[in-house]
Amino acid sequence: MTSSKVQTPATVRRVAILGGNRIPFARSNTVYATASNQEMLTATIQGLVDRFNLHGERLGDVVGGAVMKHSRDFNLVRESVLSTTLSRDTPAFDIQQACGTGLEAAMLVANKIALGHIECGIAGGVDTTSDAPVGLNEKLRKILLEASRAKTTVQRLTALAKVRPAMLVQPALPRNGEPRTGLSMGEHAEQMAAEWDISREDQDELALRSHQNLARAYEDGFFNDLMTPFKGVARDNNLRADLSIEKLRSLKPCFDKKVRPEQGTLTPGNSTPLTDGASAVLLASEEWAAARGIPVLAYLTFSEVAAVDFFEAKEGLLMAPAYAVPRMLARAGLKLQDFDYYEIHEAFAAQVLCTLKAWENKTFCKDKLGLDKPLGKINRSKLNVNGSSLAAGHPFAATGGRIVATLAKILEQKGSGRGLISICAAGGQGVVAIVER
Amino acid sequence: MATRRKPAMTTIEITTPRHAAQLYAGALLSSRKRPGVVKSLKAVTYVRPEVKLDAADVAAYAKVCGFRHEAGVPLLYPQMLTFPLAMEFFASEYCPWPAMGTVHLANRVHQHHKLNVGDVLRVEMRTGELLAHEKGQVFTLEFAISRDGERVWDGTMTALRIGVKHPVGKPYASALTADVDLSCQATFSAPADIGRRYGLVSGDMNPIHLSAPSARLFGFRQAIAHGLWTKARALAAMLPNQPLESAEVVVEFKTPLYLPGRASLWATRRVSGPQPHNAVFEVRNAKGDKPHLRAQLGYTVAA
Repeated sequence: MTSSKVQTPATVRRVAILGGNRIPFARSNTVYATASNQEMLTATIQGLVDRFNLHGERLGDVVGGAVMKHSRDFNLVRESVLSTTLSRDTPAFDIQQACGTGLEAAMLVANKIALGHIECGIAGGVDTTSDAPVGLNEKLRKILLEASRAKTTVQRLTALAKVRPAMLVQPALPRNGEPRTGLSMGEHAEQMAAEWDISREDQDELALRSHQNLARAYEDGFFNDLMTPFKGVARDNNLRADLSIEKLRSLKPCFDKKVRPEQGTLTPGNSTPLTDGASAVLLASEEWAAARGIPVLAYLTFSEVAAVDFFEAKEGLLMAPAYAVPRMLARAGLKLQDFDYYEIHEAFAAQVLCTLKAWENKTFCKDKLGLDKPLGKINRSKLNVNGSSLAAGHPFAATGGRIVATLAKILEQKGSGRGLISICAAGGQGVVAIVER
Repeated sequence: MATRRKPAMTTIEITTPRHAAQLYAGALLSSRKRPGVVKSLKAVTYVRPEVKLDAADVAAYAKVCGFRHEAGVPLLYPQMLTFPLAMEFFASEYCPWPAMGTVHLANRVHQHHKLNVGDVLRVEMRTGELLAHEKGQVFTLEFAISRDGERVWDGTMTALRIGVKHPVGKPYASALTADVDLSCQATFSAPADIGRRYGLVSGDMNPIHLSAPSARLFGFRQAIAHGLWTKARALAAMLPNQPLESAEVVVEFKTPLYLPGRASLWATRRVSGPQPHNAVFEVRNAKGDKPHLRAQLGYTVAA
């Protein structure tokens, strides 16, 4: 036997969050309408490189991705790295886990650092729904592929003869929907709001707080060292500092038609808009940070992923974080109340409220989570204290990086503490993590 | 031909309602009424002793008002059964005022038990009270519907005779609670032909609802939607798509909804009330700044 020669990695190391950077987020088809994922991610990583003076540095890895991606962007992150002033010897790879992409990327980099595989790395994400990958008409695409497979001119012409003019003006557009249900994310969230009896008023109030909190954070200069202006924009253009509850009440539900006609509760005000933007965070071992004199903001300590059967078992599409968090808490030996801050991604106000209600619900916690008693309430004043996606917008893959950097800085400002991150993702998935200082 | 008899002094039994045209002839003829000072309404009761909840009639009504089949017998449908009684009253000597020019001010209904298609019901209407309103004389008509001797539904129609000087009775007061904040819930259209379509299912062929020319004869610039259609259309959006065990709804009509038009529904369910589910809602103009009607609703879903 030779197994005794197989080595075990020495120890698991703490993973430090050193900082983050993002470009301001912009509603789809506004100021970044002509910006590509490549441009936005490059600008974001370069901003981080500038802030931490990483010019010419070879980092261990750069991991990121985009949900809405052109096929030509197969090496999106590596191409961005090559366009920055980082060493060209810095490796990079793309991942994609819908809205969980950004946080999943951070976890991948963190795990490599923890195990000593690398010393430092950048995790990021980018998305544009403006510069969307519009495809050839599907029938036309099949005809062209058939023609390219043809061995004779006759075969080729036979294939091409099937082309019809309509195919030229009916492109394949990307859809913001679940392939298995045909319902959009918003329609699923509306179903969840119905199942959990989440009121319109509660959703609007959560949305208003998100805008108020984000506006206050901007006023306090909170984002000054977390953001690089891009295309002349210096703050998220979805933010409405003067938003009122009356304005939110005046908006008509927009996801009700198929799932809950005329009885909807989700509106454009309490749902995130399609958004363009990018974010990145710098993670490292404590030794690497100390060697460069970069202070540690906080540590990424735990993570968990979960997925639910939203198709046959009919669990709510965006309920997976409700399952992921208790599993992570059990591993960490913590209670839901053991946190100073909660960063629950506001895909929809209803998603946040359903999750919180599920954790307070005895039946759900017993039957679905297998717990003796409910996880209980959280102190709502600790939730999304500097705003979240309802105000900032939600460029799918960029949200994780925004939240990790925001929470790390909040903990750094407080001096010590613990924060919980929860992000729901398409396909019935959830990605959650704990950040501590 | 209607068969009518007067078994007792003030109870009038109507076994076969007269044709709409006859009812309207009576209503129009009632325009000749020139009452002096009216001190009280004579206590009189009109009765339809046996009315079957007809599946086709219910379905036609539900379709015009936007109710789905799964919702069962719509909450306001029984009101349709009372209509011939109200018309008889308006045309009769017991109603001191003409039918035309009487404004529907408010409507209240209370369903006590689940109703089913095929139920045989006894429908009664009796004269109510007089109330003083700043614009004229308010009077009420009380409806009661029973099944096998048990009350299953009742309602009140509150009408205003505009221009009556020195109205009598207690001052009219709104039954609705104070202001609550409402959110935009939906928008819906009130099509040009909805007055005619609702007229056919309700029997209420008042010319002000049928067409612009007929409405102009009575001083409206366009046809206006039936208040009870607007109320029913809003209820179709507010109520669940399942039968109700019990429900109560009070509505006050504010301004006419001109046809064709668009309206918006504003609502909140964050209100307390006597039922497990309670709501306040308004139908407003498309812009949402002028109310057509305001209502309070409570309901219990059937098991």
